[in-house]
Amino acid sequence: MEEFITACPRNCYSTCSFRVQVENNIIRRILPYSGNLATPEGTCIKGLSYIERHNSPDRIIHPLIRTSKGKFEQIDINEAFDIISDKLLKIKQNYGSQSILWYKGSGMSGLTNEIGCSFWKAFGGTTTTYGNLCWPAGLEAVRLTLGSVKHNVPWDLENAKTMIIWGKNPAETNIQEIAFIARAKENGCRIIVIDPIRTLTADKADILFCPKPGTDGALALSIARILIDEDLINSSFINKHVIGFDEFKKSLSVSPAEAEKITGIPSENIIELAHIIGRKGPVTILPGYGLQRHLNGGQTIRSILSLSVLTGNIGKSGAGFNYANLQSYIFDYIKEPLSYYPDTEQNFPFRRTISMSKMGTDMLKASNPEIKAVWIERGNPLLQSPDTNNVKKAFAKAEFKVVVEQFMTDTASTADIILPAKDMFEQSDIIGSYWSPYIQYKPKVILSPGEVMPESEIYYHLALKLNLKISPELIPEPGNEHIEEWLERRIKGYSELNLKDLKNGPVLDPRLQHIAYEDMKFETPSGKIELFSSEAQTRWGTSPLPDYKSCYPQNNDDFYPLTFITSNTASRIHSQFGNLKIIRDTVQEPAVVISQSDASLRNISTGDKIRVYNNTGEICSIARISNRVQPGTVVLPNGIWFNEGGGGNHLIAGRETDMGFGAAFHDNRVEVEKADQL
Amino acid sequence: MSKGFIFNHIKCVACSACSAACVLENGWTIRPRAIFTYNHEVSPYLPLINISLACNHCETAVCMEGCPAKSYTRDALTGAVIINDKKCIGCKYCQWNCPYDAPKYNDETNTIGKCNLCFSGLIEGRLPACTTACPTGALSFAELKMQADKNTFPWFPDKNLSPKIEFSGKKNYDLLRIIPERVAEPEFQIVREREKTLSGDWSLAAFSFVSTISVAILVSSFFKSIFPDKLIFTSLLVLAGTISLFHLGKKQRAWRAVLNIKTSPLSREIAFFILFSIFSLVAVFFQIPGFLIAASITGLFLLISIDSVYIYSDRRKSVLMHSGQTFLSALIIVSFLSGAILPFIFIALIKLSSSLYLISVNKNTGVDFVIRFFRIALLLLSGASLISGISFSGNVIIFLFLTGEFIDRLIFYIDFEPLRISSLIKNQYNTLNNEKKRS
Repeated sequence: MEEFITACPRNCYSTCSFRVQVENNIIRRILPYSGNLATPEGTCIKGLSYIERHNSPDRIIHPLIRTSKGKFEQIDINEAFDIISDKLLKIKQNYGSQSILWYKGSGMSGLTNEIGCSFWKAFGGTTTTYGNLCWPAGLEAVRLTLGSVKHNVPWDLENAKTMIIWGKNPAETNIQEIAFIARAKENGCRIIVIDPIRTLTADKADILFCPKPGTDGALALSIARILIDEDLINSSFINKHVIGFDEFKKSLSVSPAEAEKITGIPSENIIELAHIIGRKGPVTILPGYGLQRHLNGGQTIRSILSLSVLTGNIGKSGAGFNYANLQSYIFDYIKEPLSYYPDTEQNFPFRRTISMSKMGTDMLKASNPEIKAVWIERGNPLLQSPDTNNVKKAFAKAEFKVVVEQFMTDTASTADIILPAKDMFEQSDIIGSYWSPYIQYKPKVILSPGEVMPESEIYYHLALKLNLKISPELIPEPGNEHIEEWLERRIKGYSELNLKDLKNGPVLDPRLQHIAYEDMKFETPSGKIELFSSEAQTRWGTSPLPDYKSCYPQNNDDFYPLTFITSNTASRIHSQFGNLKIIRDTVQEPAVVISQSDASLRNISTGDKIRVYNNTGEICSIARISNRVQPGTVVLPNGIWFNEGGGGNHLIAGRETDMGFGAAFHDNRVEVEKADQL
Repeated sequence: MSKGFIFNHIKCVACSACSAACVLENGWTIRPRAIFTYNHEVSPYLPLINISLACNHCETAVCMEGCPAKSYTRDALTGAVIINDKKCIGCKYCQWNCPYDAPKYNDETNTIGKCNLCFSGLIEGRLPACTTACPTGALSFAELKMQADKNTFPWFPDKNLSPKIEFSGKKNYDLLRIIPERVAEPEFQIVREREKTLSGDWSLAAFSFVSTISVAILVSSFFKSIFPDKLIFTSLLVLAGTISLFHLGKKQRAWRAVLNIKTSPLSREIAFFILFSIFSLVAVFFQIPGFLIAASITGLFLLISIDSVYIYSDRRKSVLMHSGQTFLSALIIVSFLSGAILPFIFIALIKLSSSLYLISVNKNTGVDFVIRFFRIALLLLSGASLISGISFSGNVIIFLFLTGEFIDRLIFYIDFEPLRISSLIKNQYNTLNNEKKRS
């Protein structure tokens, strides 16, 4: 039995290091790797499920082609490459290469993902997407304020005396952080959770504040006003490191009484919360990503961040604003959120006219040329992009679709050709993380089953068929040794680190700040923390100061009574993992979670088939009554497949956040009714 | 002290990685490790606590002691209590005796499976897979410092078994403060039915009642100095024996049931049943009075052993004093059939007071109350008939009397509820939540 140190490449905070034991080309065990201080106890249940995932009988391991009858049939991989190259060439000749949409999701991270870009560039360019479905509004908010996006190392959390977990649910989405939260709690730290849902994380807290969804900005600004009015701020910190304080102070119009009306939190409790933040430091705020998937998401994050700034809880141990820590992204050409801007790749032959958030309508709108073909890798946009009905329409309109996938996802099932995708153990790569500070090497530890090829090899073979001019620097030859050479070249010059260091286990960049902003240097235009940001106004058209705007304009014609939230759950990363047996056997069946009073009003019981609908679309699902949601809110986990009663994006309009080109997933209202009434 | 599980509930968020790792390591089709959540209903009035439990490999392993088939062993090196599913007869007796719900019935193999402490790995120096996998460090395996604190969780079963588990972490029961204050919504009713009812146990009820009748017939025959009808009596014994097989997951291994006479009350019950059958059949067919005496005595021991099978699993007073015990029922049937009025009145009074006591301790609802009332009515009716000498028709009144006794046996199964963590959690939740709701 061989053992390797590797790292989980999912789109997840934790990016766990782990040991994998392999025997006879079978994954035998997934074990913790204690050398990573952020994830010393090992992976979550999803990580454990790799044992099943690699060998799953449901895995697609041969290319599949859609027949005229609409069913999939296995074809030889060379035949698949022939068909694809013919088709791509024809489409390019007839409509131009930008009639092809190249879509890449967040399914697997790693530097080798860049190889696709080299292929498509050599091909002559494509249309691609801009923005990001996940977190850019908040990234932009932090960048505008602090100049870069980073936070203290995860294990510093133990030193906090007050922790505000604001819209984050680490118990399900960053479970290794729970160890640090529990340790802080045992050291006497007060744990406050602010969340419209009583999450599994809230179960571990001292106090849970449940504001109405999308009103967190108002809550934060009223707290800011109390902090200033009662002089609970750190004036010397502000004088030295902050610009825009006076303007900010003047702009604070939300009184606790008004905030009570907006958020539903009684004003005396808002004052209490302000006192907690202002009096007992160091304070760490852990903001989540759900909270910025709103039309006012960027400004909400700026408003909450202002609390850390006002109280001087930046740049010291036990304090901070832990939105994301991009310090391990040392090999990136352009860091997020800048990489999401449509105009960053002007020199490339790519046309970035399709917003990730409005993918369906933008694809349908695209002209000169229209979208004729779609290539999808590492993603499941049919399920995961907002406004599913329009995405379906746009997909149906495209005449040729290639999907690189491991399983028959909702997106894969619309493909003309499915190419089997590698899994995390089948090619070497290097990954960073947005929470853990480690840079990690992920080795190839096992042979791919069937005719599975990594994307780099798929592109290599297609480039040959298409007679594209490529060099091994751009697209390495097949074989993992060539990928390793490619990686070695790729990371040269970025850091003192080389591939050999990385192969010994996870490493920290020598320049890593364990305590972020400890040097009080901020990469903003002013070099200081910018409560007032001119760039916010010029780039995004928002107020230069943090402000609060309702996500629901008054007199909204299509008013439905229930706010619809698609939160993330422990058993999935977006739409991955839910299909595996070990996961299905462990968790409850997916359902729309509804409060008792909303359910009673509609005569709904747990287990009932229900129809959830609004002007954007509708889904059929199963109801589950729970005390975890407040009346007026219903929750369907993100990433539930159509055939499981999921597809929440049918109900979500394609709209962008106020900054960063994110998707405003959580500003939709719905109605629910018992399905058998129809 | 020896090694065992250490669990910190503050770090547990019910992610089930432990349970999944257990399955992945051992290839089970059952789930030996499970998360139990106190206040799974998320009542705002109560704290919410998860604990991860599999087998605690108790010093006093009642699963092993009670197992009639000797299918449990203890690994000498690790102290792990292990079940061999090639030996298990699927009688589920260990499920009654283990308060931690550790033995899990496997519907595919019809045997019990449970945590084996990953003992072969442990010998090689690997820790149990569940503890290795826990991503927050809530569950670990190490030298225990103290016994599981009996006061840690009021709903954690305490049967003095010296379970090898220790609870670390602050005893933190502070209620989560929710703002704005959330009242449990008025309609919020938790429908959690009692898990154990007669379903599945019908064969036990039938077996024990038919045994009671057989013994009673034999003993009254002894008093009346006549031998019972060969055909009827043989049929009763064959019936009882056949019915008892229905309870087993592995009927072809039924012979194993007598392998553990030394410590298993269930083994003793089966052994006495076999002895009783042999003695009584010899007595009935060869009409040997000596065998009639031997059979009667064995029969009474059979009934005592039947009763002790249940008392071993559920030692509450309400079971110990239950009027549906087979021994007591046999006595009243004998006195009824032999027309011994004074002994009858004496035993009937015991049974009546027991029934009334049970009505008072069980907060009976609807159907349950009607059944208990009906049972008392039948006893009074048949008693009145016997004492007054008014015989409507001998057979009708005997039928009514026996029906009453059978109902009493059924009530015994309703009241019989071995200590289990799942029911303790449920009961404590219901009691406290209702209390808090009212105040």
